[in-house]
Amino acid sequence: MKKDLMMRNPLRQLGYGSEDILADGAFGAILARAGLGKTAFLVQIALHTMLRDRNVLHISLDDPVDKVTLWYQEVFNLMAHSRQAMPTPELWDSLLPHRFIMTFKVEGFSVPKLRERLTDLTEQGIFHPQTLIIDGLPFDSGMGALLEDLKGLCSETGLRSWFTVRTHRHEDPDPDGMPPQLGDIQDLFDIVLQLLPDGKDIHIRQLKGIAGASHDTQLRFDPATMLIKAD
Amino acid sequence: MKKDIDKVRNIGISAHIDSGKTTLTERILFYTQRIHAIHDVKGKDGVGATMDSMELEKERGITIASAATYCEWQGHEINIIDTPGHVDFTIEVERSLRVLDGGILVLCSVGGVQSQSITVDQQMKRYKVPSIAFINKCDRSGASPFRVVDQLRNKLGHNAVALQIPIGLEADFEGVVDLVAMQAVYFDGDNGENLRVEAIPENLREEAQQRRDEMIDAATMFSDELTEAVLEEKNIEEELLISALRTGVLAREITPVMMGSAYKNKGVQLLLDAVNNYLPCPKEIENVALDTENDEAPVVLASQNDAPLVALAFKLEDGQYGQLTYIRVYQGRLTKGDTVINVRTGKKVKIGRVVRMHADQMEDIEAIPAGYIGALFGIDCASGDTFVAPGLDLTMTSMFVPEPVISLAVKPVDHKAEINMSKALNRFTKEDPTFKTHVSAETGDTIISGMGELHLEVYIERMKREYSAVVETGQPRVAYRETITAQAEFDYIHKKQTGGAGQYGRVAGYLEPMADEEFAFESQIVGGAIPTQFIPSCEKGFRRCLAKGPKMEFPVTGVKAVITDGASHAVDSSDKAFQAAARGAFLQAYAKAKAVIQEPIMKVVVETPTEFQGAVMGSLNQRRGMIVGSQDEGVMTVIESQVPLAEMFGYSTVLRSLTQGKAQFTMEFATYRQVPQSVAEEIAKKRSEDKKKVA
Repeated sequence: MKKDLMMRNPLRQLGYGSEDILADGAFGAILARAGLGKTAFLVQIALHTMLRDRNVLHISLDDPVDKVTLWYQEVFNLMAHSRQAMPTPELWDSLLPHRFIMTFKVEGFSVPKLRERLTDLTEQGIFHPQTLIIDGLPFDSGMGALLEDLKGLCSETGLRSWFTVRTHRHEDPDPDGMPPQLGDIQDLFDIVLQLLPDGKDIHIRQLKGIAGASHDTQLRFDPATMLIKAD
Repeated sequence: MKKDIDKVRNIGISAHIDSGKTTLTERILFYTQRIHAIHDVKGKDGVGATMDSMELEKERGITIASAATYCEWQGHEINIIDTPGHVDFTIEVERSLRVLDGGILVLCSVGGVQSQSITVDQQMKRYKVPSIAFINKCDRSGASPFRVVDQLRNKLGHNAVALQIPIGLEADFEGVVDLVAMQAVYFDGDNGENLRVEAIPENLREEAQQRRDEMIDAATMFSDELTEAVLEEKNIEEELLISALRTGVLAREITPVMMGSAYKNKGVQLLLDAVNNYLPCPKEIENVALDTENDEAPVVLASQNDAPLVALAFKLEDGQYGQLTYIRVYQGRLTKGDTVINVRTGKKVKIGRVVRMHADQMEDIEAIPAGYIGALFGIDCASGDTFVAPGLDLTMTSMFVPEPVISLAVKPVDHKAEINMSKALNRFTKEDPTFKTHVSAETGDTIISGMGELHLEVYIERMKREYSAVVETGQPRVAYRETITAQAEFDYIHKKQTGGAGQYGRVAGYLEPMADEEFAFESQIVGGAIPTQFIPSCEKGFRRCLAKGPKMEFPVTGVKAVITDGASHAVDSSDKAFQAAARGAFLQAYAKAKAVIQEPIMKVVVETPTEFQGAVMGSLNQRRGMIVGSQDEGVMTVIESQVPLAEMFGYSTVLRSLTQGKAQFTMEFATYRQVPQSVAEEIAKKRSEDKKKVA
């Protein structure tokens, strides 16, 4: 089942050479309005990473540890059911050591603090993250300096980072299609994916990624199952 | 005893250890004039709080056993169960919640929602108990009641609505602003018994209005009349607001939040008002029994005195005059002299003395009406037994009882202690379904099992104190078990045809792993390869193999045995022969089915000052723990982990020294997981050493 889930990773459709999609130290962003499924999307990226035995550090600035755990369990069960398989406790148990959840209050989150926590984890051999998932960072309120610092940390450590970015219905995108939240800082990001509702479906657009690639991807996000699907 | 069921409240007070719930209960009893003086929990005055009736509880300052008591407030009769806060005694909390209609969740205004509050809250959710929150200790340094309100929302997912705001905080805490009546309330007199109502202080008016608006906004979800009044900007009647909030509470969609300091005698009377106003009376709660004659179909009980009796014994205590059985009557009326049936044993029981409890004092009454909690004397029963009127076959929903995860050998020091220990164990196992005892067939030792180290420690102390049974204890042992991880076939012939009566039976099929269940048996035999009358013999044979696994003699779980073929002999096949064949088949397949040892894994939650979080994580990691995550809460960090129970012995001492005594942890059973190979080898080595010693 593990192999089957790995093979069926819909993100392979994005056409990147590596399954990590992001290179060492690179940033990726998932943009969407509230309630469209940014967290579920990122959790799938995380689970596909964990299925390849790579370690994910999930940082949530919104939800407590219990709730983040629940997200993973739910999405994993949905992924298994979509393959008509019963998720086995053994597979789930084998994934858990590849994940570490940290939650912070938005105002309590800072790069020095994260650096300190990472040192605690790595120096004691508790956990060595390879991918960072940051959910709930308020991009509306000037995160430029923090992201610059984070970029520095990720470049040093080789961590790949995915972020959720909440956009707003009432705000028009910039002429290049980027939402104002990423306006000044879009250079920090290597890949920007957007969840765009279209009738009953949610399309996944690539606003930034492989040079020259079309914005339209072959991927959809199914609002009923919260899973990424290839057309 | 009054009979107005609308004015009855059966409530529990649940909280994290040291949130002050025993002090709160003490104050409630004082203001309702059940006691006439106030004592400290830790018994500085040598008396101790009234609800902590056990000596040991007085000494440790914690409430171990639930004591039921009743009191009256503003014409309402309130039955209170004081519940223990430590997770090792969770069965006590669960039992209490089973019989309660409403709960007060006590939270510390400094500590906020702590890990045990989360456990207790989950239990309240499981039994669908509507609750109100009381944020206690507002006089303490660092008190921040609205931070706790936020935590109730974010951590526990409650729709927490503050019905009060504090007037001053910490050392300046004076009283509260009641947002429903829009008035300030102060608590005067030596014991805060005199309520002084005044206008809201000028500096709090704006905040009070804003918080009241939020409260009204939340309440409008439950009353069209209130919504209308708000939209039309009419004056909002207090009764209308209370009624809307009450509807929300009963639906478990609103948690009203009250504030105060029980220790400083502030806010308790208003909390009692809230109990009357917002928590349900027995008939507002749907209680369901199971019809044993009708495939356990659920039957909704009527909270009426003239209906046939259904009552649940939820707690036993050894009192001065024999066994005291705490009982909740769900339907009908339990009267002195009645003859009722204990559904579990089928035996008739004559009701003798009926009492109403006030901690360890009691008051004789004639009957316990529907919806009430009382106690009986001289009834021989176990905790969780259902009593019904003759002719009824109903049982209350069985309580969730987890399997013990730890055991300990106990050896009485002399003959007298041996006799007393036997009496004590007999009592404890009746009182507490999570506490079990047996005699080891190998060593002849008496083994006690329970839910954690502290759980067993407390019983050992109680043996000594209450029964003068001094015992020596062995090393705690973890409840390991065996299971298989692969399917394996068997084809086994049991044949004994030399001299005397012969035996013959052949069984073929396979064993396979199975999640969630201990054992399952399936027969796919067609055409009489095994005669029908011997199929149950096969199942019996397989089941007999489960108690002691072939790998390391631990109990076997998670196995499904499927028989697909077999053979019999017209003369020599028998029940015994097929049982033996099944046993042989089991051993044959088990050897190929990749058997593994599993160990109990505990969910360990540590709350530590953030400066020590690295050290705490390291300590959990060293114990083969998997850290699920860390929650940064400013000065404190909560670390959630899963750690094998075998590695947790003595952890409290380690944690204390790592954190200068500033961290605390809770531990509860999470799951069973396969032990790593190196640990399995160690266990095997230790077992063989133990066996040699016994030999």
